[in-house]
Amino acid sequence: MLKTEGLGYWYQDKDQPLFQGIDLEFDAGQSYAILGHSGSGKTTFLSLIAGLDQPKEGDIKLNERSLKQIGLTNFRRHDVSIVFQAYNLFTYMSPLNNLLTAMAITDAAHAGDKAYARQVLSDLGISTDLAERNVQHLSGGQQQRVAIARTMCCDAKLVVADEPTGNLDEDNTKEVIQQFQKIAHEQGKCVIIVTHEPDVASQCDHQFRLENKQFVELA
Amino acid sequence: MNFFKRAWLNVWAKKGRSVLLILVSSAILMFVLAGLLIRSAAVKATSQAKADVGATVTLSANRQAAFKKMQSRTTSSKSSRPKMTLTPVKLSDAVKVAQLSNISSYSVTSSTSVNASSYETVSTSTGMGSSNSGGPGGMKSATSTGDTQIDGVTATSLTTGFSNKQSKITKGRGITAADKNTNNVVVEKDLASQNNLTVGDTLTVKEATGDKDKVKLKVVGIYKASSTSSSNASPMSTDPANTMYTSYTLANTFKGSKYAGTADSVTFNVSNPAKVSSVKTAGKKLINTSKYSLSTDDASYQTVKASMDNVEGFANKIVWLVAIAGTIILALIVILTIRERRFEIGVLLSLGEARWKIIAQFFTEMLMVIVVAVAIAGVGGKFVGNQLGSQLVSQSATTTQTTSSGTGQPGGGEPSGNGGSGGPGSTGQMAKQATDMKIAVTVSAVNLAELGGFGLAITFLSIMIASGGILRLEPKKVLIS
Ligand SMILES: Nc1ncnc2c1ncn2[C@@H]1O[C@H](COP(=O)(O)OP(=O)(O)OP(=O)(O)O)[C@@H](O)[C@H]1O
Ligand SMILES: [Mg+2]
Repeated sequence: MLKTEGLGYWYQDKDQPLFQGIDLEFDAGQSYAILGHSGSGKTTFLSLIAGLDQPKEGDIKLNERSLKQIGLTNFRRHDVSIVFQAYNLFTYMSPLNNLLTAMAITDAAHAGDKAYARQVLSDLGISTDLAERNVQHLSGGQQQRVAIARTMCCDAKLVVADEPTGNLDEDNTKEVIQQFQKIAHEQGKCVIIVTHEPDVASQCDHQFRLENKQFVELA
Repeated sequence: MNFFKRAWLNVWAKKGRSVLLILVSSAILMFVLAGLLIRSAAVKATSQAKADVGATVTLSANRQAAFKKMQSRTTSSKSSRPKMTLTPVKLSDAVKVAQLSNISSYSVTSSTSVNASSYETVSTSTGMGSSNSGGPGGMKSATSTGDTQIDGVTATSLTTGFSNKQSKITKGRGITAADKNTNNVVVEKDLASQNNLTVGDTLTVKEATGDKDKVKLKVVGIYKASSTSSSNASPMSTDPANTMYTSYTLANTFKGSKYAGTADSVTFNVSNPAKVSSVKTAGKKLINTSKYSLSTDDASYQTVKASMDNVEGFANKIVWLVAIAGTIILALIVILTIRERRFEIGVLLSLGEARWKIIAQFFTEMLMVIVVAVAIAGVGGKFVGNQLGSQLVSQSATTTQTTSSGTGQPGGGEPSGNGGSGGPGSTGQMAKQATDMKIAVTVSAVNLAELGGFGLAITFLSIMIASGGILRLEPKKVLIS
């Protein structure tokens, strides 16, 4: 579904790229974990496949169409859903309105469907009562579950997450990873998670390690 | 339109910030409205001034031409004593001029003097019994040498002295158009009390020229000449109490039969003071300019207009300065909020929201604030406008007074009936009139619409200025640190 072709990126110095000549393929219905030590360029890689930045070298293709062709804004709106470690939600809205807003912006099939949004939230353990409160009154784990619910509500087939469990305790981490697996296996989406927790990575269908400017698949 | 909903949710959720923004915007708009109110009040006051103060065009003998003629005659013929002959104004000419557009009414002045017969004149300590050539206006029949000044008028209410309230009728009534061809007279209070005259009494005067007939006059009113009018008069004049008002027809009778149907001067009231010069130009075509001249007096109007122009100009400056300052202030606030809200903008961008819709959201939020602020300013601006307005008018009136009193011509420069135009006293009076002019501040629908327009423009511009921040924002840099 998503392919990188000779992908390379560097910040200042062309001679010291973070990674170079990356050819990877990510399929729908699968989950992928990307490991690597701090500063190796995991987040940078993710920002490229999330359409937040443009590659310095090579190309990224979604179903054989280059992201440049699709247009980054268009790609972000319709094709990718992003979960960050923090700052995922609109702080001045309730979880319910966060979902409705995201669905409206991304022209989701369920846009405007309050009952559906409530159902998705309650499936993730956000009660109807919590769903109407301001998100700032929710715990970190609850907020991350709202972010995952948002991803589930939207139609984007590609889901990328940058250390989504970074701020969570063990129980919440387990719960969140289970949800990502659900998104991959039940919704048939392609899930790519950046993490530096081997426990988290081991639960995904595939694991890559970013090392020496290259992605290495782990057995 | 999702950004409307987001804007509403944001304004509602961040109530504290919204209230603060409303207060700031209200303060800005209040000053804008105050400026708008003062400006429209000044415009209203100026047009009111046109109606109230008025301006005049005066038809009289051409002194300058007569003076030149006299000079040339002196050099050619060796006449012992040069004499300046002034041609009295023909009333038939005046009727023609009166038919010009913008002339609302006219008043005839014919002055002469007679001698007291059945009464005693009031004598001032300095000028007792002195001959009284040159009345307050300085224009008089060359042959008259009487001790009582006769000011023949169409109506006393149309004379400068009475219309600017320097002279007042205290008993009875003034001379009106109905007194034409009668022997009715209005005498001064001091002269009346000295001679025990009251309304209904008769008095006798003796003509100063011709066959020196005795004529009986009937007192129909008593007036009080103000103290300023005496200081106004030229030093050589007689006591102002010795001036009587009659119909101009009676004054002409005193002067002699050849003066019938003439006047010293005819003053035309111009309904629109702004049209004075065009009236003068049109009038000149109707008269023999070698014999007659038309002079204008719109000093009162100019004084009031200048003062109102000052206020209007100041109000304009307030409106624009406040609008510009307000735009900058709001833009700065929006720029600061954008910095504070960069994560929110980042999430929106990561969801693929168009940047213009994010700007539209900020604009809508600000618009909601401004709508409330306009309502608040609409109530508060009236108060501010009232305060500012009254202060401005008195201030500008004082400045006008100081500037115009310097340029005020000495009294009696132009022959314009009694009183003379633009003496120092009358200028002060005009400035006082300007001070008395109340700036009536009322908030009209037009003002509110204008205010709304300014609010909209300020909002739009401030968001435009601040939107650079949104356009430059990179979602990657915001969300990935
Ligand atoms: N905007 C930037 N300008 C310059 N250098 C940057 C910028 N962002 C990141 N870098 C550098 O690029 C390298 C890769 O950063 P990146 O955030 O992709 O690493 P990471 O693998 O996600 O690290 P971590 O596990 O700590 O999140 C780091 O050395 C970082 O200092
Ligand atoms: Mg990272």
